[in-house]
Amino acid sequence: MSIMEYNGSAVVAMVGKNCVAIATDKRLGQRALTVDMGFEKVAPVTDNIYIGLAGLATDVMTLHDRFRMRVNLYKHREERTIEPKTFSNMVSHMLYERRFGPYFVEPVIAGLEKNGQPFICSMDLIGCINYADDFVVAGTAADNLFGMCESLWEPDLGPEELFETVSQAMLNAVDRDSMSGWGAVVHILTPEGVITRELKGRMD
Amino acid sequence: MTTLKPGEVNLGTTIMAVKFDGGVVIAADSRTSTGTYVANRVTDKLTKVEELIYCCRSGSAADTQAVADIVKYHLDLYTSQHGEMPTVKVAASLFQEICYQNKNNLSAWIIVAGWDKQTGGDVFEIPIGGSLHRPEFAIAGSGSSYISGFCDKSYRPGMSKEECIEFAKNAVGLAITRDGSSGGVIRLAVITKDGVERQVVYGNELPAQYTG
Repeated sequence: MSIMEYNGSAVVAMVGKNCVAIATDKRLGQRALTVDMGFEKVAPVTDNIYIGLAGLATDVMTLHDRFRMRVNLYKHREERTIEPKTFSNMVSHMLYERRFGPYFVEPVIAGLEKNGQPFICSMDLIGCINYADDFVVAGTAADNLFGMCESLWEPDLGPEELFETVSQAMLNAVDRDSMSGWGAVVHILTPEGVITRELKGRMD
Repeated sequence: MTTLKPGEVNLGTTIMAVKFDGGVVIAADSRTSTGTYVANRVTDKLTKVEELIYCCRSGSAADTQAVADIVKYHLDLYTSQHGEMPTVKVAASLFQEICYQNKNNLSAWIIVAGWDKQTGGDVFEIPIGGSLHRPEFAIAGSGSSYISGFCDKSYRPGMSKEECIEFAKNAVGLAITRDGSSGGVIRLAVITKDGVERQVVYGNELPAQYTG
């Protein structure tokens, strides 16, 4: 079994009309055994940027802490909050620094630019950025999420419709993956604020 | 994990059988996985080999299907030759013969359970390697390790049919929650002299569990 599949994860981000969504599952496993059903894989970076990390759980936890430190330092030096595109470049750099001994994670970033423009991107474990204007996926359920997103997504979905779309994509994708699921959490980022909802899903 | 060939379909599973006075209750989850992908989420792992004798399959899907088909054939022949239904012990013995003699080529962990005139309800277990065991209740499959303690604590000899059904639902439900290779619905069957009653327990009908 690959090291990226050891803990299990599903992460997806989608673009809507003046809003973005980011969702993850909540399982923490050790191969087939489920150890935790409340493992946080997505964290706020600023009020307008959320980052979700799929992959090896220890690296997920370590990187969340490292990003927090780097963003705080940025704020001290620049005297302003970091923008999504800049943050994604920072993440890419931090991952490529470890090119020959990488962090086993696949980041997914969702945010709103200063002008309100939605922003999403994903990366591989050594920092290759993939910008998208529709959706990005990561984790053991990535293939399933691609299928769900490709069929369910359409442009210009409002916050409520985007929530329904990303929730259905997540719930049905993880039902076909034995390594992810056991609950899910969805964050919708709008200019007015963040709406966070827990999804009730299959606990198998 | 299990010794499956690359690409082979896995019945990573939770299965169990419990004896009561008058018959047996057998239960299984419904997940079949190829690697991490869930190939079938509504599998039926409770397979009939005779009218009142079922086997619960775990391990390689192909291996257990093939073995069950062969045993079914032999039991059919037995009925023709003897003019009476085979006992559960006979069925289990046939399973054992195949699993033991082909131990190097098979990945099968099977529970055989049913009702016969001689003994009433009967449960047998054939783990990997092909040994034969006759416990009062049996649990098997990758998910069984998570419920050994629960089953040892909850089982009491002389439980009624309804108590056995609740015991099985609770046990398989707990294993499904913890084992990544088990999931879907719980399929139950109650085998008595009057026949086989099958039921399906969906996720939202499971007994309450702590899930954090």
